[in-house]
Amino acid sequence: MTKDVGRSKHSDGGKGVPGPFDRAVLRQRRLRAAPRFTDHDFLFREIATRLDERLSEITRSFNRVLVIGNQGGIAADLAARRYGQAEVVRTDLDRGLLRCGAGRAVVADDEALPFADGAFDLAISLLGLHWVNDLPGTLIQLRRALRPDGLLLAAFLGGETLRELRQAFLEAETAVEGGVSPRVSPFVDVRTAGSLLQRAGFALPMVDVDSLTVTYENAFALMRDLRGMGETNALIDRRRSLSRRDTVFAMAEVYAARHAGADGRIPATFDVLYLTAWSPHESQPRPLAPGSARTSLGDVLGKKTDD
Amino acid sequence: MSEQHTPPGTELDPKLLEILVCPVTKGPLNYDRERGELISEKAGLAYPVRDGIPIMLVDEARKIDD
Repeated sequence: MTKDVGRSKHSDGGKGVPGPFDRAVLRQRRLRAAPRFTDHDFLFREIATRLDERLSEITRSFNRVLVIGNQGGIAADLAARRYGQAEVVRTDLDRGLLRCGAGRAVVADDEALPFADGAFDLAISLLGLHWVNDLPGTLIQLRRALRPDGLLLAAFLGGETLRELRQAFLEAETAVEGGVSPRVSPFVDVRTAGSLLQRAGFALPMVDVDSLTVTYENAFALMRDLRGMGETNALIDRRRSLSRRDTVFAMAEVYAARHAGADGRIPATFDVLYLTAWSPHESQPRPLAPGSARTSLGDVLGKKTDD
Repeated sequence: MSEQHTPPGTELDPKLLEILVCPVTKGPLNYDRERGELISEKAGLAYPVRDGIPIMLVDEARKIDD
């Protein structure tokens, strides 16, 4: 464990920017989940289908596709199926995470992308950006990696994701330990995401949110599934000491008491933010710069009175 | 199908070589075929290629002494 903490200092590309997420631990969590990932990839597949629907609405085709975050190769395979002739490059934090999926594999960090300007015309991120410490920085790098009129399509967890779990932990900790610590990571909301895209220099940014409710037998089954997805660390802040067993049990009780349905199962909310944005190109509609008008309103109105 | 198998060992796919830059400086990389490394002169780092996969992480790069 101490080794991970030491490595994390370099996980931002050596710039020393502190952030809430430990990329080295993310890598470890994903590696641990990798062998049985297909047992827990339901959410990834569901959201990939929705990303694919968005692509189906875009009439143009793409030839050079970048997929950041391999996630079992789901998004890379989707791109290869939809754009048969496309060259696909997919990345993740470790070679062991890149075994499946169409296209060429590169080990890279979303926070320090190793790609030349304009190398791609489509970039996809499937449930990875909620892990990034410097989201504006990653968005700028993605925009640069896209050629003009290239598309960024991303889905990540945000908004009220796991609010039930957050609340249950809060209550249980207050009761058992007499204090609280953050357990569920802070999430980006729709408005923030939109303004980040704009600030990163994207054109025609669109953000929408889709709320999914997944039901589980109990809170332990939910935690098990999050672990299987390799998502525990993103969603639940790692603490120096292990969670106290009685806190976790109390959390599960609170969760059931507050949220269980008639069948005894508990719901878990996943708010998925979908980002669609284009790298700027002259063919795209955009407002003219102030003062750039060639015809004055007076002229137009004056003409009318002459008639 | 667009699926391509990366060559074994440290051989790097030329298509990847075309688009890779140093993740730290975004500057160019020189491919050292013999050592199987991608060299970023500006960053003073050599990124290894393992099983045909370039490892573009600062943590795993070799520092070049000069």
